[in-house]
Amino acid sequence: MGHSHHPHTHPHDHDHDHHAGPSDVPPALDLSVPDSELSPADVSRRGLLRGAGLLGAGVAAGSVLAQPSPAHAHGDGGQREAKGGFHWLAGDHHIHTQYSSDAMYRVVDQARHARANGLDWMVVTDHGSVAHAKIGVEKVNPDIRAAREQLKDLLIYQGLEWNIPAAEHATVFVAPGRNEVAVLKEFENAYDGSVVGAGDPTPANEALAIAGIRFLGEAVRKRRIDGALFLANHPARRGIDSPHEVRGWRDADPSVAIGMEGAPGHQAAGLPRATAGRARGYYDNNPSAASFPGYPLESYRTWGGFDWMTATVGGLWDSLLAEGKPWWISANSDSHVNYLDTAQRGPGGDFNTDGRYPDPVYGPLLTEAGDYWPGQYSRTHVGAGSFSYRAVMDGLRAGRVWVDHGGLISGLDVRARVAGDRRRDSGTPLGGVLRVKRGTSVELTIDVDLAGTPNWSQFVPVLARVDVIAGLVTGPVADRDTFTAPTAKVVKSFEVGKGTGRVSFTYALGRVDEPCYLRVRGTDGNRSAPGLMGAGVDPSGPAMDVIGAADPWLDLWFYGNPIWVLPS
Amino acid sequence: MIHLGLDLGHESERAAEHWLYDLVQQLGRPAGAVACTHLTHRPVPHVAASLAVPRGAVAAELLAALPPVAPELREAAEHAAAAHAAGRGGRATVFPGVERLTGTLPVAELLDVSAIERVTVIGGAPAGPDTLVDTRDHVRPQWRDGVLTLVTTPAPGGRIAPFEVPNPTPCCADHV
Repeated sequence: MGHSHHPHTHPHDHDHDHHAGPSDVPPALDLSVPDSELSPADVSRRGLLRGAGLLGAGVAAGSVLAQPSPAHAHGDGGQREAKGGFHWLAGDHHIHTQYSSDAMYRVVDQARHARANGLDWMVVTDHGSVAHAKIGVEKVNPDIRAAREQLKDLLIYQGLEWNIPAAEHATVFVAPGRNEVAVLKEFENAYDGSVVGAGDPTPANEALAIAGIRFLGEAVRKRRIDGALFLANHPARRGIDSPHEVRGWRDADPSVAIGMEGAPGHQAAGLPRATAGRARGYYDNNPSAASFPGYPLESYRTWGGFDWMTATVGGLWDSLLAEGKPWWISANSDSHVNYLDTAQRGPGGDFNTDGRYPDPVYGPLLTEAGDYWPGQYSRTHVGAGSFSYRAVMDGLRAGRVWVDHGGLISGLDVRARVAGDRRRDSGTPLGGVLRVKRGTSVELTIDVDLAGTPNWSQFVPVLARVDVIAGLVTGPVADRDTFTAPTAKVVKSFEVGKGTGRVSFTYALGRVDEPCYLRVRGTDGNRSAPGLMGAGVDPSGPAMDVIGAADPWLDLWFYGNPIWVLPS
Repeated sequence: MIHLGLDLGHESERAAEHWLYDLVQQLGRPAGAVACTHLTHRPVPHVAASLAVPRGAVAAELLAALPPVAPELREAAEHAAAAHAAGRGGRATVFPGVERLTGTLPVAELLDVSAIERVTVIGGAPAGPDTLVDTRDHVRPQWRDGVLTLVTTPAPGGRIAPFEVPNPTPCCADHV
């Protein structure tokens, strides 16, 4: 990346011999540099590249294997304090309001709680529906703009929860701007599976989903909006997101379709309660006729609060990473109605006519609700170049993302480095690609800021273990319904011996001869079981959550997104 | 046993199993009858069905009066019958002893009073004969490897419960 254009940066040097050096990546390509800091010429160039779908981690050819390294964007200190060179901004991309047929809160109710719970950004994702497309998508916008004015230190995006034709739901959101409503409305009216009656798993409907993602990319290329992102929500919940559909969405436009929920929302739903218990994340479905027949029953439940696609070492997520395909994970609240809140829907009104429910009023304690407020339990941490709408979207697109439950840790800096290089801002961060000469010794450094303050259940979580997971990059799969990665496994586990401050670990890869990727996860160690691919692959993975007996605060995990190491 | 493939193109298992239940009633609830649902993509995603009845248990004219299978669903119906006959597939909604499987009972009793031959656990340790099964009054074993198998998961209180819950959360549930 080109630090030379950053007049304020510290004059550190990079190891040009061993990986793509700073001067190799022009500033326009470096997503850690906010647009506001680019020259007008570079802004224009970035626009062109973005317009051509050539911006973002591994985007150019749909794989980290086939392009120089725009993904190799590591941070610079900038003029503000920022950990590891980035401003780590916590957020939630999946939040419902009174404009969803199954929710109740005002935008500002969600926003105020999000901010109070420590979030820097959030996305309003009311359900796509006939009433929403006709009324809600427009009516919610003034509420969002008012909340932006009221809470200046919270970035509030407008999006929607898309009924993906032939599949599950997805977060779709856009950068704020004068066309934010117009683009979302056009998208919803043309491509929402519920609005256009395209829910069945037919090839035509699958194609419509692809077209919808391409529409969003086009809207960016035509400069109607500055950015649009897609994340598949609760992807394994009903078994209807087949592996080839996931690949299809990603490949349709990797600058838009960037990933999936690693963990679903509704994390309070599995708490023991007086009535028959529900499942954590409301993951209590069975295969249906619409399901992908290859998925095992295990995929219909959460594992340590995470979706099976993410929780299974050597499973679907790893199969995409082994292809060299950037595909990121997130965590979110899916907040509709929150556990132990004291509100209820206001009386009167008609959702279908009004496109919304009346404002909530004071009500009884919600002991049966299954959701947490935004930021109360689940957080998605994005390494952004600045506090701005565009920088958060760029950070998400680049995969500089880690997620946690229950405030298990307070900071995570993972970098792939040439062995021995410990300079503060060297190395390739989460989501990046480290390119080295074949035979170069490489290390993964993991710096964890332990939880220093209580979480929102008023205790300080204790991290027990950090696992490093690695797999070989074996290139494209012949069968696009592949959902296993035979080389992925836990290669190292670090026990954490202290309760506060920072812990640092180094995993030595040795001399690297084959392309590979690494990712990390950590746990409080309360619940573990051998992974679904066997104890040899994952000896102490997350255990399956028990319906009606899953206290999410007693089973905490964090996950980091991958880093690729490519020798040549 | 006679294995019959049936298929009315039901969209959901729930609809298919209600229909099957009524059908078995109309046939006089023959002893030993096993009715199964089958998820199929032939030719489009839907739920087919199969019915096994002991030879001679049901009058030939009653069997002949079963609803005809539409030509486009015949392949799915035949596949369902074959899978059931071979014990390779099918989710049993009517089977001997199903009416005894209510409340909570030990694995040994469940195996003793019903046609279920095996109980497996996913996400937990294998069950023993004394392990309590919380049936939730909804038990749907499956044909696997020629064995009518109930797949369970750990449940609160050290119990196990059928994997399939009776009232799964709809995709846009009102979570209040």
